[in-house]
Amino acid sequence: MIQPFTPEPIRYVAEDGTPVQPLPARFTPELLRELHGLMLQAREFDRKLITLLRQGRTTFYAQSSGMEATQVGLARSIRVGHDWVWPYYRDHTLGLAMGVPMFELISQCLGTNSDTCRGRQMPHHFAAQAQNFVSISSSIASQVPPAAGNAMAQKYLGVDEITVCTFGDGATSEGDWYAGLNMAGAAQAPALFVCENNQWAISTSIREQTASETIHIKAKAYGMPGYYVDGNDIVAVMEVMTAVAEGVRAGQGPALVECLTYRVGSHSNADADAEKHYRTREEVEEWLGRDPITRVEKLLEQLGHPVSAEERAEIIARTHREVDEQVLRAEATGQPDWRIIFEDVYADVPDHLRQQEAFLRAEQSGGPA
Amino acid sequence: MTATQDRQEQGAVGGTRTINLIQAVTEAIAEEMERDNRVVLFGEDVGARGGVFMATAGLQERFGKHRVFDTPLSEASIVGAAVGMAVRGLRPIAEIQFADYMGPGFDQIISQAAKIRYRSAGQFTAPMVIRTPSGGGVKGGHHHSQSPESYYTHTPGLKVVMPSTPYDAKGLLKAALRGEDPVIYFEPKRLYRAAKGEVPDHDYVVKLGEAAIRREGDDLSLIGYGGVMPDLEKAADALAAEGVSVEVIDLRSLVPWDRDRVLTSVQKTGRAVLVSEAPRISNFMGEVAYVIQEQAFDSLTAPVGQVAGFDTPYPYVQDKVYLPGPNRIVAACVQALNY
Ligand SMILES: Cc1ncc(C[n+]2csc(CCOP(=O)(O)OP(=O)(O)O)c2C)c(N)n1
Repeated sequence: MIQPFTPEPIRYVAEDGTPVQPLPARFTPELLRELHGLMLQAREFDRKLITLLRQGRTTFYAQSSGMEATQVGLARSIRVGHDWVWPYYRDHTLGLAMGVPMFELISQCLGTNSDTCRGRQMPHHFAAQAQNFVSISSSIASQVPPAAGNAMAQKYLGVDEITVCTFGDGATSEGDWYAGLNMAGAAQAPALFVCENNQWAISTSIREQTASETIHIKAKAYGMPGYYVDGNDIVAVMEVMTAVAEGVRAGQGPALVECLTYRVGSHSNADADAEKHYRTREEVEEWLGRDPITRVEKLLEQLGHPVSAEERAEIIARTHREVDEQVLRAEATGQPDWRIIFEDVYADVPDHLRQQEAFLRAEQSGGPA
Repeated sequence: MTATQDRQEQGAVGGTRTINLIQAVTEAIAEEMERDNRVVLFGEDVGARGGVFMATAGLQERFGKHRVFDTPLSEASIVGAAVGMAVRGLRPIAEIQFADYMGPGFDQIISQAAKIRYRSAGQFTAPMVIRTPSGGGVKGGHHHSQSPESYYTHTPGLKVVMPSTPYDAKGLLKAALRGEDPVIYFEPKRLYRAAKGEVPDHDYVVKLGEAAIRREGDDLSLIGYGGVMPDLEKAADALAAEGVSVEVIDLRSLVPWDRDRVLTSVQKTGRAVLVSEAPRISNFMGEVAYVIQEQAFDSLTAPVGQVAGFDTPYPYVQDKVYLPGPNRIVAACVQALNY
């Protein structure tokens, strides 16, 4: 049984790769290598997307570098395509690890015709039906009450699914966050709330965000257990998250897991000079020393199954190749035309929208406006 | 009233400087903080970061963390706290990072800020300013591009302002801060750096509720506010090249709005085209159109034209097509002229 409300984050592997408690048997070198590969792929995906941004092929990007263990660990702790996920905008690594095709992610980022969301939202606000990965809303914490409702529906329908809802530390200040957790608690709905606590909400530090010492202890107020996990230790994330998810599935009611991690890059491209304005280089360096990817590499080394430099380079090269390929494939589909403005507003199109569409059709074809 | 007229009326002496709209906002805040120590400024990332658009850059250094500070990520708290501070005698400026994110603070705006004077018969009031970047044209998708002003013009007790020039941005913000009512102050984000203009070196205010006549004309009144104003000017240029004389009016403030200036203009020209980028249904310009037909029906030689956003969420791709733009404005004017 995993203990809730621990004063320190639960961890299995120290920064230098040494296990601090016995590794659960399922963490074979094969599994660890696989997780390492996923995390490295996500890291390189970030790197490539930033290049695309610099090339002006996309307009916005918010990296998840540094947070790979939290997102990959979560993805591997739930039943993908069975459970439901209400993510937030920094969750593309979660999406990748859940098997959302890279082509879909890239198409969305580029707003091409191949974007399953038809170019309506800004970059990396995905939605993926096959994975039950519900459309990302920019509006912070607005996904939390709907996630509670999704879980209430699951309880009502008597299915063995759970609902996962993710958010940053900043989101926990919004009224919607409190409202959603309280609702899920009162309803004893199968909801797993996951705080990806990367310690900054743009330039606002967690210390300015709340006087609460941690996020997970807030769970107490809503009648659910709160777990505190080292979010850069993929073993810890997966161990705790799997156990908690299965408890939620078994009808124990909702739970909150706080993964303590760090966003090593900027908030987004709109905030490229974080260190100049609000945080110190030393702080970033300190967290680089706790990097989730190097931690697994060091662990594998200690276990006698090191990832060789060639293997590492192979994963990086493969990811770069794949991104390049998918970008070209996506771009070749062109951009959605003006019709996307009017589609999907309503199920049955009302007259006034038909008229506006006709107006725009005439305008776009150079006819009488 | 034109900017020049404003200056003359205030008997200005001394020089002017050319700045952009966002600098005008920063200057207005700084000068009012200097003038009145009841003025405090807060919101998400306004402090060390200086705001995501840098509208508050340098203000925390200058006025200290007790007067310029970052808040938890909660618009309800930001707006609600501003109401409480205002009731207790401060002059808060609450920044909402994007107008799209006023949603979580909506109840505080409409239930508390807008109504406390009325329901307490003036025993308690909330003089405060909510500043927020709004409008499209910046590749932001719907959550960073909406124009929600009509939600607020629909709420009695709130004043609603949207400048389009640095001169107005500065003067209106100062007036808003010196007033006794809650003001929603929308900043058209696509003009932050694009709109440049002169401001006087001396202190001045632009009274809320007075429209500005940007250019005089006889054939048609073209009326707008905020981010679309440069497009109105371009449309007027295009029509001038065809020999049509257009009067261009910038409402500047929506509640209260300048009925007199609008009606006088329409009575002169006989035609009005109203432009805003917000979706059309329940668009504030519907109110302007109503008042024109009610008060100036006899002068009209054509139905009042309206150019608005479509009744759809604001898209990411095709955002330029969504926005009215000069061509669409010209087309509406031509329609009114040929009626
Ligand atoms: C309701 C709302 N207010 C403000 C914003 C602007 N905004 C975008 S991201 C962000 C910070 C979010 O921080 P956090 O929840 O900690 O997530 P992180 O970006 O750190 O992963 C803010 C304030 C928003 N998107 N929605």
